[in-house]
Amino acid sequence: MRYFVLGLLPFMAIFLQSTFFSTYSINDALPDLVLIFVVFFAFLNGERKGAIYGFLCGLFEDLYLGRFIGVSALSKAVTGYIIGRMQVRFFNENLLVGLMIVFIGTILNSFIMFIMGWSVFSVFNLDTSIISGAIYQSIYNVILAVPVYIWYYNSTQKGVLSSTGER
Amino acid sequence: MLINNTSSERNNISLLERLIRDAYTPLQSGVVEFKDRFGSFNTYFSSKQLLRQELDSLKEQNQELLMENQLLREDKMEVRRLRSLLGFQEISLQKYEMVAARVIARSPNNWYRNIVIDKGLDSGIEKDMTVISPRGLVGRVASVSRDSAHIDLITHREIAVGAIVQENRETQGIVEGLGNSNLLRMVNIPYYSTIKPGNNIITSGLSESYPKGIDIGIVKEVELQPDGILLSALVEPAVSFDKLEEVLVVINYYPEVLPPEDNDVEEIGG
Repeated sequence: MRYFVLGLLPFMAIFLQSTFFSTYSINDALPDLVLIFVVFFAFLNGERKGAIYGFLCGLFEDLYLGRFIGVSALSKAVTGYIIGRMQVRFFNENLLVGLMIVFIGTILNSFIMFIMGWSVFSVFNLDTSIISGAIYQSIYNVILAVPVYIWYYNSTQKGVLSSTGER
Repeated sequence: MLINNTSSERNNISLLERLIRDAYTPLQSGVVEFKDRFGSFNTYFSSKQLLRQELDSLKEQNQELLMENQLLREDKMEVRRLRSLLGFQEISLQKYEMVAARVIARSPNNWYRNIVIDKGLDSGIEKDMTVISPRGLVGRVASVSRDSAHIDLITHREIAVGAIVQENRETQGIVEGLGNSNLLRMVNIPYYSTIKPGNNIITSGLSESYPKGIDIGIVKEVELQPDGILLSALVEPAVSFDKLEEVLVVINYYPEVLPPEDNDVEEIGG
């Protein structure tokens, strides 16, 4: 059940982003629900699992988009790894810590995406809209992360995402 | 290597990508249906006065359009006669077979802006077909699955469209997307062109993929390029991509066969 839910989360995230959230952007910036799930998973499960889950979620997103397959997979894997490394340094029970991690994760992921897109494939223009887009997305993600973190944390403790007896 | 192979346009998407998209299509279509129903539910409770005002305004607009239509019909006949006299090939939307489709989803991230429509291979849609709306040019089919198609908007960096300024018909150029921005840039405009802010940019028809005369956008700014011999213009798209609900995909093009010259002269003479 745990793995099924972990697989369902990125599927539902892309569905919501492409239908509901795509019409409610903040200054043209959309949230990244897939990233929120990757960040939470990495923060609660460590760098190794975080990197693997980030890679799989990013790859799924890439396959849906059909372009630059691997860019999201790599950026989310690296983000998952770095956020996972922070697991031992912070108390994950605290909601504010969860929100701070989402903010850092979003900025980090945008930075990696931008570096890959700009230096390797010359996809993006180097202008201020990229930076402001990343900041607005971070704010949007933090707002959405409030209910998601409460649900996610509780589920990992005693709900569908709990690892006891499910592995 | 995978990133590199998929960075440029591909002729076909993989089976896995197709399966993922086909899994999403019914869900995304369902959301559109739900929005439509929820919208009409809201309308039911809207104030009657507001609806009456809207109805009056639409009636007035309808009268104006009917008048305009009469005049345009007359103009159309005249243009047809003159075109056949001059031996020009007529280019009109009637020569394009189109399929109407609903926009069921939009790009789920900030990096690539595209839309997803609810028609795909089963409706005869193929890669690279042109997508338009009543307001103007929308973009091009990027990839197709059985029941859906992903459309690259004209703001995409890889799309370039031959364009002319509608007001003077002389200024030609190429309109390109700026990628992340919601604006377009018209390039390769000769320095002596009379292009100015407020001009309407339409497709030139030089490329057969894009019908001639489709609105692209309005010129916002014109600037001299560093080489000093060409101008470039910032163009605001005619289509509001965020509000787009329905589009038309040009699935076939029928070039018109010109009538023999003698007949044209007779027709005009008569």
